[in-house]
Amino acid sequence: MINTILCGSVNWASVGLVLGLIAGLAVVLTLLILLVTKICHIQEDEKVVKVLEHLAGANCGGCGYSGCEGFAKGLCSGKASLGDCKVTSNSEKQIIANIANLDFAADSPTVAVVKCSGGKGATNKFEYVGYPDCVNEMVFHKGRKLCTTACLGDGSCASVCPIGAIKVNENGVAFVDKEICTSCGACIKKCPKMCIERIPASAPVYVACNSKCRGKEVMAQCQNGCIGCGLCAKNCTQKAITMVDNLPVIDYNLCTGCKTCVSKCPRKCIKEF
Amino acid sequence: MSTFIIIVVAAAFINNAVLVQCYGICPFLGVSKKMSGSLGMGLAVTLVMAITCLVTYPIYNFVLVKLHIEYLEIIVFIFVIAALVQMIEKAIKKFVPPLYNMMGIYLPLITTNCAVLGVAETVMDASTMMADLGIQAFGLGSAVLYGIFTGIGFTIAICIMSGLREKVDALTIPKSLKGFGITMVTASFMAMAFYVFALVV
Repeated sequence: MINTILCGSVNWASVGLVLGLIAGLAVVLTLLILLVTKICHIQEDEKVVKVLEHLAGANCGGCGYSGCEGFAKGLCSGKASLGDCKVTSNSEKQIIANIANLDFAADSPTVAVVKCSGGKGATNKFEYVGYPDCVNEMVFHKGRKLCTTACLGDGSCASVCPIGAIKVNENGVAFVDKEICTSCGACIKKCPKMCIERIPASAPVYVACNSKCRGKEVMAQCQNGCIGCGLCAKNCTQKAITMVDNLPVIDYNLCTGCKTCVSKCPRKCIKEF
Repeated sequence: MSTFIIIVVAAAFINNAVLVQCYGICPFLGVSKKMSGSLGMGLAVTLVMAITCLVTYPIYNFVLVKLHIEYLEIIVFIFVIAALVQMIEKAIKKFVPPLYNMMGIYLPLITTNCAVLGVAETVMDASTMMADLGIQAFGLGSAVLYGIFTGIGFTIAICIMSGLREKVDALTIPKSLKGFGITMVTASFMAMAFYVFALVV
């Protein structure tokens, strides 16, 4: 019954015609494409083809070429440098460098670190009882902390971290787990106090304060902040620490990780990493 | 001669593919950041549209109409255009490398862009209409001409857009309008300007 209803109205001749036409078209076009490919075959540079295989293939044009193929040619002719491509991973770039005989130094891995240890030790101007979000809190007199650069501890960075590497610790300061952090920079962009920065993943110590105020002001604002005394710089065995704007700056190329600065700091704001 | 002028003005301005018919918006907004890129894109679109009209006109009139299966036009057109563009790309790469470098990635990207399919549809509609009226003037030559000038209309639109965008980028724009927002506003004003051409007829 159903069969007759469905099939009764079908014009099998036209179905056959359509199917035949489409199939015929497909065959003819395929043959034509094959023929043209055969006629117009160009011996491509083997190196370019190999390099192209290892590029990301996004054709994004971020390198300034019209696509990955142009970039591969540029690489092989020495006009482009591997650093121009932001999409291809470091390991793939290493392979490309070997193929095309290019110099390539992978960026040494970095991690994000929060440059504040204030938390409960940093004096409040007022109590904030609004929605726990640093960006929101900034609307009210630039946050509740007296210190203008203190971490507010509301966890905007933790909420924006794509892999959950940031947590606000019991002291009320954001803390980055360096084992998980991929240094994507999402938190650095989000933090309204700008107190997160990248340091080398191999760094032995870091400065956990971002206040450029003089010692006396810091004493009034925070129990844990750097007062710019310069003891760390004086005692550093490698002369790797210099004082800039009342804050120690560590040259990680010179630092050997003796941790003298950690023990000498009277405010305990140079921390082991 | 008057037919020639009518076809040129109708294709490039009155029925401008982007600004009046709203075809091909994605290359129009995506590749209009720099003047050089939009010129390459416009060139590629013009070439593909000319080929499209050249090939689809006989297929439609001598195969589909004769067999009374006009409803298959979209499938057949996509098939044929996509295959042809592949072939043309390879041929250009072999025989005219400078042109290939200028068009870059754009040629394969627009194989069956809606603007390309749109021009084929428009031309077939026009030819059917003319044939119904008993006018045989709209032949293969007119179809190809229509295709070329639709492509040139697209090039004009995308080049104006990229010129404006280069200027707009240097201005101070409210944060909420930055980037895509101001581009859409610019495009809408351009579309309004082009709509005036429709009053010519």
